[in-house]
Amino acid sequence: MTIECTWPIDMNAGPIFVQIANQVRQKLARGEIVPGDRLPSARDLAAGLGVNPNTVVHAFAELERTSVIETRRGLGTFVREDAPVAAMRRDMLLAAAAAFAADAAALGVSTSEALAALKEALHAG
Amino acid sequence: MLASLNRATKQYGRTEGVRDLTVEFPPGEVVGVLGLNGSGKSTMLKLLAGLLFPTSGDVAVFDGPARAQRSHVVYLGETDALWSWMTPDDAATFMAGLYDDFDVKRFRELLASLAVPRRRTKAMSKGERGRLRLAMALARDAKLYLLDEPLGGIDLLSREKILQSIVQEWHTDETVLLSTHEVAEAEGLFERVIYLREGRIALDATAERLRERGKSVVQTYREVLG
Repeated sequence: MTIECTWPIDMNAGPIFVQIANQVRQKLARGEIVPGDRLPSARDLAAGLGVNPNTVVHAFAELERTSVIETRRGLGTFVREDAPVAAMRRDMLLAAAAAFAADAAALGVSTSEALAALKEALHAG
Repeated sequence: MLASLNRATKQYGRTEGVRDLTVEFPPGEVVGVLGLNGSGKSTMLKLLAGLLFPTSGDVAVFDGPARAQRSHVVYLGETDALWSWMTPDDAATFMAGLYDDFDVKRFRELLASLAVPRRRTKAMSKGERGRLRLAMALARDAKLYLLDEPLGGIDLLSREKILQSIVQEWHTDETVLLSTHEVAEAEGLFERVIYLREGRIALDATAERLRERGKSVVQTYREVLG
């Protein structure tokens, strides 16, 4: 699977290496990439994103440290077969739920109202 | 250190210059040199290129005076000064005659990736000439690249191509100093940013560390220089 090298980077949203690592996790959680897939080289990804290659290397190191990817000497960087995809998916769902809960609380609606709205939105989606 | 300025001052008239500037550049950094017009960006780069001599203080490159290292440093100046009759092929001959480290094969690859047409420069757009000048600079094999406003007055697509080529060509042991007003477009490329104000360093920071505190290089620019 080829991965497009044009991910959105927001200079106001914290360190770029964190954003790149999170986007790899997000793509995995969404099934856009799967275990065993090869990631673009740090340089190609850097050129595509318009960022420093060292920043991508930093992001890859972070993903390697958290057992998401591995470097196979001479072959490139791959998503590990045992990458914790289910856990990443659950983390992202919980984060989305927390954001929704915070918005609902700010609106001052009851739990049942919030849940009803959520169900409606899920049906509409 | 690959290059350094030690209490360097360069003044000519009142308009521009640097004052008592001390800064070091280790190998392997891509540094953004930022500042308003007249803040001393070009003067700093020209001092490092050995094109200007400091009024006082020292400028060292590869442990020698910058002037003696001129032929080992790549300097891309602000002015669009190419002979109008020159084609990219002529430019290759010219550069190869001038610099031992000029790689003709790499130059041709750069011409292709930067989509430089094979016409005379007088028939090129400003963006095309800017891309040609960058190809001439990046086709040299040096440890220090001083790029003064390579994005200045050039169309968006040319700017993107130029930034991409810099990313592609940069080796981890080379240091690139890039001055630009296109801060938003270039900031992702910088590991380190130096903000100059009136010939002095207003801030010298790591770009990712600024963003860690929730401030982009652009935002910091507004705060430090605004």
